[in-house]
Amino acid sequence: MTPNGAIVLAAVLVGGAMLTRDLVGLAALSLFCLGFGAIELRGRTVRALAWSAAIMAPLAAFMAVVWVGVVGRSPGEIAAGVTGTRAAALTHVTVICTRLFLIALVTQLVILRFADMTPLAFTRALRAPVVLKKLIALTLSWIDTILHAVDRSRTALITAGVITPRFSARNAANGWILVQTVWLSVITIAIGRLRDKWPAENTLARLDEALAAPAPPFRIGDGAWIAAAIAAVATARVV
Amino acid sequence: MLTTPRLIVIALCAALNFSIGTIVYLVKLPIYLDSIGTILCALLLASDRKVAFVCAWLAATVSTIISVLINPFIPWFALTDMTIALVSAFATSAAVASFRARPMRTGAFIGSVVLYGVLTGIAAGIVSALIVAYVFGGVTGSGSAAIVALYLRLGFTVETASLLSGLTIEPVDKTLQVMLAALLYRATPREFVAMLQAPMPAAEAR
Repeated sequence: MTPNGAIVLAAVLVGGAMLTRDLVGLAALSLFCLGFGAIELRGRTVRALAWSAAIMAPLAAFMAVVWVGVVGRSPGEIAAGVTGTRAAALTHVTVICTRLFLIALVTQLVILRFADMTPLAFTRALRAPVVLKKLIALTLSWIDTILHAVDRSRTALITAGVITPRFSARNAANGWILVQTVWLSVITIAIGRLRDKWPAENTLARLDEALAAPAPPFRIGDGAWIAAAIAAVATARVV
Repeated sequence: MLTTPRLIVIALCAALNFSIGTIVYLVKLPIYLDSIGTILCALLLASDRKVAFVCAWLAATVSTIISVLINPFIPWFALTDMTIALVSAFATSAAVASFRARPMRTGAFIGSVVLYGVLTGIAAGIVSALIVAYVFGGVTGSGSAAIVALYLRLGFTVETASLLSGLTIEPVDKTLQVMLAALLYRATPREFVAMLQAPMPAAEAR
């Protein structure tokens, strides 16, 4: 499967999850995703399931407390102005949580499917305008630079007694100084790269060349998975 | 429109949007601050508002694309990002003079921050409410869920409760974000801002 095929597949499945309104349909889509994972990712499917469950658990708990515990009736019942039941509220929470779990699972399956590719190789393989690919590559580079700047600035400001390592009133008052210090540090690096380093190394032209390479064409596997996903969405809508 | 310095600032602001969560986490503050880069991008390019909007929107979009790796639900708020870029480029950017005035005119600075923060918050709150109501069923994992629950308990529909919750929380959050973006804009060297104004095509910049 190619990265572009995987992105189209994810879009079909996420769109399908949004259109499907009942638990049976969502369960059918989940089964399809598990089938995709078992064939394309094998053992890593468990990781995708665990990650999706971990990201959904707090949200599900929150929703259950709000809808079942506090509100005690479903949105339909609120709109109709009837008393409502906690069972209907629980059904509403289950449908929403299953849908969001499915979206998280699809995203994670696609990410893990290409976990062996570097971010630059993945970006390069996308069918997207070169400017967008260049922006993604540059942003990934700047994120590292900013995170390093955060480490340095935080250590310096803690040493200077401006902020503290844990939650404190001083952090609330001086947190903006950390943000400003990080920004100034990064801007200084940006000016240096723009004015001296990148022109000397011809970095941006070389990045352009790397990203302008044509994306790999869709393969039969892409088409088969996308067709199967469309069929699964149609089935989920019918059942 | 997209000269090399502008591409760099879009990427920088997108990275700032993404990374600021780490900073907030380290400082242990109960806020989100996920659009500072978008607002800052609009301020840095305020001299041409159309360019400011396009660049701020691109910064928000790129950070959203990358954030999918961490949070698969962020793309649903792409329309909110566009709204923030729009308000920042066509409204907040009108205050760049008071944001950069030296010495700082405290009254004008605070007044502008509150005015445009509340404006951004209201716009973002209205757009986000629709997404929260229809995609998340009215409740996200954030602290605002408690306010949604309160409004639902009072008998409001999901849509109205999400809207009222957004209008309660967003103006406060966005005022903080406009304040931080204004402080960063104020601290940005004049040399860097000047590099962004030059109509230099990307090819020449190399």
